[in-house]
Amino acid sequence: MTMDVQRVTAEPPPPTVDFPVTVGWTQAAMAVQAVLSLGTPVHLRMDIEGHGPLLIDFRHHAFSWSTPLEDFPVDAVHTGLQTVPTSADAPPYFELPGQDLDGLLWQMGINAFGGGPAFWLSPGERYRLTRWPNLTRHSHDLRHVRMIAVLGNAYASTTELAAFADVEVSEAQRLINALSLMRILSRSAAAPAATMAPQAVEAKRDSLFARLRKRLGR
Amino acid sequence: MAEHVILFTGPMGAGKTTAIQSLSEIDVVRTEANNSERHIVDKATTTVALDYGEILVGSEEKVRLYGIPGQKRFNFMWTILKKRAKGMILLVNADAPDPLAELTFFLDEFRVLYDRGGVVIGVTRADVMAGPTLAEIYEALERTNPGLVIPVFTVDPRERDQMQNLLLTLVVNIEMRAAFGMPSVAGSR
Repeated sequence: MTMDVQRVTAEPPPPTVDFPVTVGWTQAAMAVQAVLSLGTPVHLRMDIEGHGPLLIDFRHHAFSWSTPLEDFPVDAVHTGLQTVPTSADAPPYFELPGQDLDGLLWQMGINAFGGGPAFWLSPGERYRLTRWPNLTRHSHDLRHVRMIAVLGNAYASTTELAAFADVEVSEAQRLINALSLMRILSRSAAAPAATMAPQAVEAKRDSLFARLRKRLGR
Repeated sequence: MAEHVILFTGPMGAGKTTAIQSLSEIDVVRTEANNSERHIVDKATTTVALDYGEILVGSEEKVRLYGIPGQKRFNFMWTILKKRAKGMILLVNADAPDPLAELTFFLDEFRVLYDRGGVVIGVTRADVMAGPTLAEIYEALERTNPGLVIPVFTVDPRERDQMQNLLLTLVVNIEMRAAFGMPSVAGSR
């Protein structure tokens, strides 16, 4: 009797690329941006001191992490940051559904770069929103809402955004970084500057929004 | 007294009445009757006329919250109210038979508010059933009104904080459009 024996050749483990140990979220945000720009299926694993591994499966726009985003460690110590090549039809990196990646990208973008511009942004650009972030799922305040409303209706640079929304430039920059990392901003160096009607500038502090916000204690 | 009318629209079972209850400072005036469309939504009663609530902003200013009937046979009431509205909160339940069709139906019906950016969309019951993704919703919106970016959030109408966020987002978005000289809605007097 003969038997057909199927020979299985073990494939070598996929190559991985290690990143140096870092503090904060700048390196992590840069890694995410690099992977997203790559357009090829790659997982990302971050080892964060005291918070366990954070796994990202970009194909499913999901992440897995034992630390809830409400307890997001702003000054996280990354002991490892690793890209793990995969393929389009490989099983998920972790049990799905995981958590929506946008929530993590929001936190990461807000907290990376120390209020300076993300490295992939260029001077002289103006930005406009392509879709609103799902704010009920992200930790935010009403200054964010006002800034996002600006970007939903006009192209603005970081400094213009800060002026339109009455916030610090660094605060506007953090938002731009986050929305850009989430890929919900369009960027243009050619878009003309928007102008706010003079009466609107005058009325900003006594708008219905401002009065309602005060009334609702927000 | 200055008044600002905000409409709550959407299909049956989307949570319009609950949303107004979460926001209103007065006891909500509710009018319900037997549901003759239980094959669509399994609720014994549903909104058939106006739900009404309000928020007093100051001694001389009020936000009026109107929940209007979700069934298409009541659209004669929509015509009246949309003329007075400053903006609209459109609630669509993720577990509706065809949430995207519901969404585009109501946006078409309230086109006068939609075209002027006076709309915020709240997707409810997303925890019960996944429904369309926000990306799919934005694709549908882009097809119906290219270039117009309106806010879309997943919400729980029982959560006051979330409903306040939705309302404040609607108001600031309308005001921002006006500030940049874009067509905005009237609806306040």
